[in-house]
Amino acid sequence: MNPIEKLVEEIESQNLWEKELNLTRKEYLKVQGSIDTNLYFIVKGSLRIFIIDEFEEHTIRFGYKNNLIAALDSYIKNEPSDLYIQAIKKTELKVISKNSFNNFIWSSKKYIKMWLEIVNELVYQQMERERDILTKSPVERYKRVLGRSPHLFQEIPNKYIASYLRMQPETLSRIKKS
Amino acid sequence: MKIKTESLILDLIERTRQNINQVEQLSQLTEKELNKKKNQVTWSVLECIEHLNLYGEFYIPEIEQKIEQSKTDPDQLFKSGILGNYFAKSMLPSGKMRKIKTFKDKNPNGCKLNKRTLKRFLEQQKQILELLNKSRKVNLNKTKTAISISKLLKLKLGNTFRVLIYHNQRHIEQAKKAIE
Repeated sequence: MNPIEKLVEEIESQNLWEKELNLTRKEYLKVQGSIDTNLYFIVKGSLRIFIIDEFEEHTIRFGYKNNLIAALDSYIKNEPSDLYIQAIKKTELKVISKNSFNNFIWSSKKYIKMWLEIVNELVYQQMERERDILTKSPVERYKRVLGRSPHLFQEIPNKYIASYLRMQPETLSRIKKS
Repeated sequence: MKIKTESLILDLIERTRQNINQVEQLSQLTEKELNKKKNQVTWSVLECIEHLNLYGEFYIPEIEQKIEQSKTDPDQLFKSGILGNYFAKSMLPSGKMRKIKTFKDKNPNGCKLNKRTLKRFLEQQKQILELLNKSRKVNLNKTKTAISISKLLKLKLGNTFRVLIYHNQRHIEQAKKAIE
């Protein structure tokens, strides 16, 4: 079991989920300007996080089944955030508030350790992502992401992957063919 | 009505999120269903949403301009005033909805419409969210906007947002009834 699964199992057994949420395709969990300090566990489906800059959407991150997802800036700072979070397909979520999640984590060293593992992994992923964005060649960007998360290409429509890779959908199709 | 400005903004953002989600759901329907009319005068889904787009086209640039020109600082509290509050609240959907007569230039009845109407509505909502965000930097009491129905009256920006967003809610409710 990975640390997310272990942690989620504990939350489950202590009955700490506040509610369940269902989103149909393309519905929004969060929009620009709102404060959202919840942590969400994705039971089913997938989501994308994006920002809009000068009328263009930039995909920041995806969330898949069995992942945790949050509007991280809002979660950390308790302030409004620019992030949009949208369901890509029919999605089921479980919700825990920051407050009860913190109480839970701090209730045992074991949980702190699990959470630290998850946060470490997240920091590492962010580092990888930063390198993606700094990589000049579209082909290299594609290869990096394909090598790291091959499942992305099974689950997510091309146009969102293209946005994540900072290229036009046509460019992505061309690269995939060659 | 007196309310913390930040609470009002967050409430209007949440209402807009719900409006977007409802219209995203409507977008899953076929164009035929979206154009369905119960009778000659009752609006179809697309006519309801087109009606909102026509208002959006007036209010969004108006709000944008007045925020940009405003030299005011934000206030902790928003005070709607009796008339402004009455006007805004009259837009909210209610159980048994009273019919409000539509101004001719905002009546889409009989227009040829397609799914682009919904796309345009969704784009407008993202602009509204952007403007709500920008409005955090100005005074919602002292910044005033024009309204579409009278050249003599001005509305406080906080009320203008309420009118616009409550009005969206109202006609999305109506749109949902068109396909019942």
